[in-house]
Amino acid sequence: MIDSLFVLNATGKIIIEKHWRGLINRQLVEYFNDQFSKQSSPEDLLPIIPTPKYQLVHVYRSGLTFLSPVSNEVDALLVLEFLHRIVDILAEYFGELAELSIRDNFDIVYQLLEEMMDYGYPLTTEPNALKEMIVPPNIINKVISQVAGVTSVVQHVPNGSTISSFPWRKAGVKYTNNEIYFDVVEEIDAIVDSNGAIVSSEIHGLIQANCRLSGMPDLTLNFVNPRVLDDYSFHPCVRYNKFENERVLSFVPPDGHFKLMSYRVNLPHHQSLPLYVKPQIHIGNGGGKFDISISIRNTDGKPVENVLLVFPLAKSVSNVNATCNLGSYIFDPVTKSIRWNLGKIELKDRTPMLSGNFSSTEQTPESGHTITIDFLINMHAISGLKVDSLKIYNEAYKPYKGVRSMTKAGKFQIRT
Amino acid sequence: MTDFRISRPNFFSTPKKGENYELRADLNSEYRDRRKDAIKKVIANMTVGKDVSGLFPDVLKNMQTDDLEQKKLVYLYLMNYAKTQPELVILAVNTFVKDTDDSNPLIRALAIRTMGCIRVEKIIDYLCEPLRKCLRDENPYVRKTAAICVAKLYDLSPSLAIDNGFVSVLQDMVSDANPMVVANAVTALAEINESSSTKDIFIINTPTLTKLLVALNECTEWGRIAILAALAEYKPADSKEAEHIVERVVPQFQHVNGSVVLSAIKVVMIYMRTIKNDEAIRQLVRKMAPPLVTLLASEPEVQYVALRNINIILQKRPEILANEMRVFFCKYNDPPYVKLEKLEIMIKLANEKNIDQLLSELKEYASEVDVDFVRKSVRAIGQCAIKISEASERCVNVLLDLINTKVNYVVQEAIVVIKDIFRKYPHKYEGIIQTLCQNLDALDEPEAKASLIWIIGEYAERIENANELIVTFLDTFRDENSQVQLQLVTATVKLFLKKPQPTQNIVQRTLQTATSECDNPDIRDRAYIYWRLLSTDPQAAKAVVLSDKPPISVQSNTISSSLLEELISNISTLASVYHKPPETFLGRGRFGADAVQRRAIEEQEEASRESPIQAQTKTNIENLLDLDFSDTTTAVTTTSSLPSSSMSFTPTANVDDLLDLFNGNSITPTQPSNNQNNGLSNDLLNLF
Repeated sequence: MIDSLFVLNATGKIIIEKHWRGLINRQLVEYFNDQFSKQSSPEDLLPIIPTPKYQLVHVYRSGLTFLSPVSNEVDALLVLEFLHRIVDILAEYFGELAELSIRDNFDIVYQLLEEMMDYGYPLTTEPNALKEMIVPPNIINKVISQVAGVTSVVQHVPNGSTISSFPWRKAGVKYTNNEIYFDVVEEIDAIVDSNGAIVSSEIHGLIQANCRLSGMPDLTLNFVNPRVLDDYSFHPCVRYNKFENERVLSFVPPDGHFKLMSYRVNLPHHQSLPLYVKPQIHIGNGGGKFDISISIRNTDGKPVENVLLVFPLAKSVSNVNATCNLGSYIFDPVTKSIRWNLGKIELKDRTPMLSGNFSSTEQTPESGHTITIDFLINMHAISGLKVDSLKIYNEAYKPYKGVRSMTKAGKFQIRT
Repeated sequence: MTDFRISRPNFFSTPKKGENYELRADLNSEYRDRRKDAIKKVIANMTVGKDVSGLFPDVLKNMQTDDLEQKKLVYLYLMNYAKTQPELVILAVNTFVKDTDDSNPLIRALAIRTMGCIRVEKIIDYLCEPLRKCLRDENPYVRKTAAICVAKLYDLSPSLAIDNGFVSVLQDMVSDANPMVVANAVTALAEINESSSTKDIFIINTPTLTKLLVALNECTEWGRIAILAALAEYKPADSKEAEHIVERVVPQFQHVNGSVVLSAIKVVMIYMRTIKNDEAIRQLVRKMAPPLVTLLASEPEVQYVALRNINIILQKRPEILANEMRVFFCKYNDPPYVKLEKLEIMIKLANEKNIDQLLSELKEYASEVDVDFVRKSVRAIGQCAIKISEASERCVNVLLDLINTKVNYVVQEAIVVIKDIFRKYPHKYEGIIQTLCQNLDALDEPEAKASLIWIIGEYAERIENANELIVTFLDTFRDENSQVQLQLVTATVKLFLKKPQPTQNIVQRTLQTATSECDNPDIRDRAYIYWRLLSTDPQAAKAVVLSDKPPISVQSNTISSSLLEELISNISTLASVYHKPPETFLGRGRFGADAVQRRAIEEQEEASRESPIQAQTKTNIENLLDLDFSDTTTAVTTTSSLPSSSMSFTPTANVDDLLDLFNGNSITPTQPSNNQNNGLSNDLLNLF
């Protein structure tokens, strides 16, 4: 179980401190800060650090450290998953994860921590259930409570969420317009070598739902081709056995936004990535030349949008001269990288190219940096996964249904 | 807060009175808002470490309210300062007890939860009655909160929890209709069982097993983890039962929470020990791969724990991820701790089929910026060469390519691993020695230097200018690291034995310097032994120094089989991350003396079991030295014709003891000396 939680700001100062099993001396945090400051980058610190009495499990997000010392043998992954959950919940409650929002709402933070964990064991972590017990802050709530002195806490029991056989759905939901939307979002993680050969590639998909349906609808969602999935995990509402046997998603949805399903697909070998980056780099005397071109391959006729390519150069590079035939580029002298912002690439466009040269204070600047690229393709799921139909049972109304797909770059890296 | 008080004793405290005075006035204000704001301010002060315990009675007055938020804040304050104000807490008891009768279940649960958290002796007696009520509450939210409260009470007073029948109520609650209550009852029971001396509080029998399996599919993610942990402790009666349980556990592989997934994998791995049906095992192994791969797409922290566990799982079931090498390829922006773990696993997965792919990947890593990662990648190439003999030539070629990059640390690391390759495949790659020697000037790290010197000594007869090369090192003998010095002494002697004529001077000079000018006893002793050997019986010296080395093989970071089984039982826990049994890193001194002793003995056994492997795998030069060293002593003990010298050490006994002190590994060859001696060395060993 988890003994305590410290939330530290960027300088290592404690901004939230919660003990579930008796006080832990703050000196422990000083020890942690020592370790922390030894790293060249905060993300580099080992997530679990042993000390004689406590094992320090921590997560670093948005400049904040969530540190949990544990004194007994625990499920390490449980602690990490719980910390991730705290991070998610705080971000959801305050709109962003930041020191200021946590400081401003410390009373809510403490109430949340109290509700999320008891005696070191996770208690309630479902966002919907928490929101029924502790109302998220918003301007209107604040105004009302200041003007009328009305408390911001919901005065009813969290009955729907704890007693019903569908703990994720509250009873008595009513909408005048019944509608449900699904977003199929796929991210491509890929490593491509300088010749354009795929070293590794994977697609991580997520089906995000926004459900605004009255009553207790029981839904069945069919895919055209569920076989493409290599691995999948579901929101607790999905009936697992039904999917195992019939490959359909059968569920009573939570109200509002939720992640219905996430999945992984290995890109088949014969299928190509949506775009290819071809870098040609020549290191010469005190500098070098480069030519980077991007070609569109497999986008089902859709344009590629929000394209941003980042090309890091050696630390010794002082100056860059280049031209591009699409978008614009800047050289960031701090990170020593070229950021080429292409915007939208239409299929009819000429092959986008960025070429130029750089000068370096070193005779032979180091090479071998990895290019990353960001992009987005609307109305296209690279895995080929398609929703076939959605049927609704247990309710008489006919809801409006919508499905949207999108493919994005995840960790898309090109070696040079 | 205690530490705050220590760092700033009361009598030195700056007059914070002003602020506290104002807060006190506000806490007693007739206006509700003002009181509530004051409470918030008090909590805010508490958070930044200011001592606001003096306001205890004033805060307490605000406990009785129908404003739930305010009540929660007061409770928060109470939990923090109850320890320092135990007499005053009694004043709160009445409100607590009243709240456990409230019509709102949220308030009932809150009251019982908070009461349990106030770890004050005096309040315990008042806790029992409300707890009894809450355990039987009609609302499951209250019941599940009360279940955890029993564990809190047990921690404070085990007898009270048992005598009041709370523990047996908890045991009944495992059969509760609500899965959430079941999960919390299991959590509480597991905790109580762990801290009980008898360990018989939570025993799973067939009816509870059924309940657990039903609850498993219905409760929250955290409840599932608790139930899976309980299942991991259960010993299935036979293969059939194990298969039946596993069938219910496997769907948990599809949970979004990585911790649920890994807990399920733990249960399956443990139950596979009992399952006799080969087909079932094959099915399970097949089903385990995708969720493990998916874990690698999570946040880096989760990846780290997953990778450490995959490392264990692979050693037990190497077939699981045999075709998944690619998913372990490193992204350039993976955190360093993830990259290093991935490397380990790639070496484990390397085989004839995927070696080309792996080598080109490792070569790619060797050009990255992170020096530590580059070194480990070069080392990995060497380990592949040793592991897969069919591919050794390709590995050596990649290493040569890397040496040609002339990047200093890459060259040095490559030379270190090539030395191991020479050990594994003697006389196979002599052709590359010339290339290695060309980089002599670039070497500045002791390990790389020592490795190259070892190679020169070992292949002295093939290297035309071996003596010149050695001489260049000898000039700076005194300034070298002891590792290099030891290797130089040995290499010089080897050189002399292979090419006596031109090197007589060199060996004389080296041994002279080593024996008379070195502070390090290891080096002096070794030089003396060589010297004596050479002067007494050159043939024996040849037999000793030029003897064949035992072969090496790579089982990179292999875990001994008993530890492996223990770690598999601990998948997903800290032990699985550290690859150590829990007792070795947890709460020092909290375990009984015999537990420590038992652990020490086991560890020693493990060490002696592991040592042959370590000696083989550790690319560390010191182990090579140790092997040379022990070879030497074998000969010393057998030839035993040493004249007693002016040095006057009684050779066998002393050398043995010294050896035992320095390395437990090498006792085997020295064993046949004599009984007394054995006893002595054993005693010495036991000390460590």
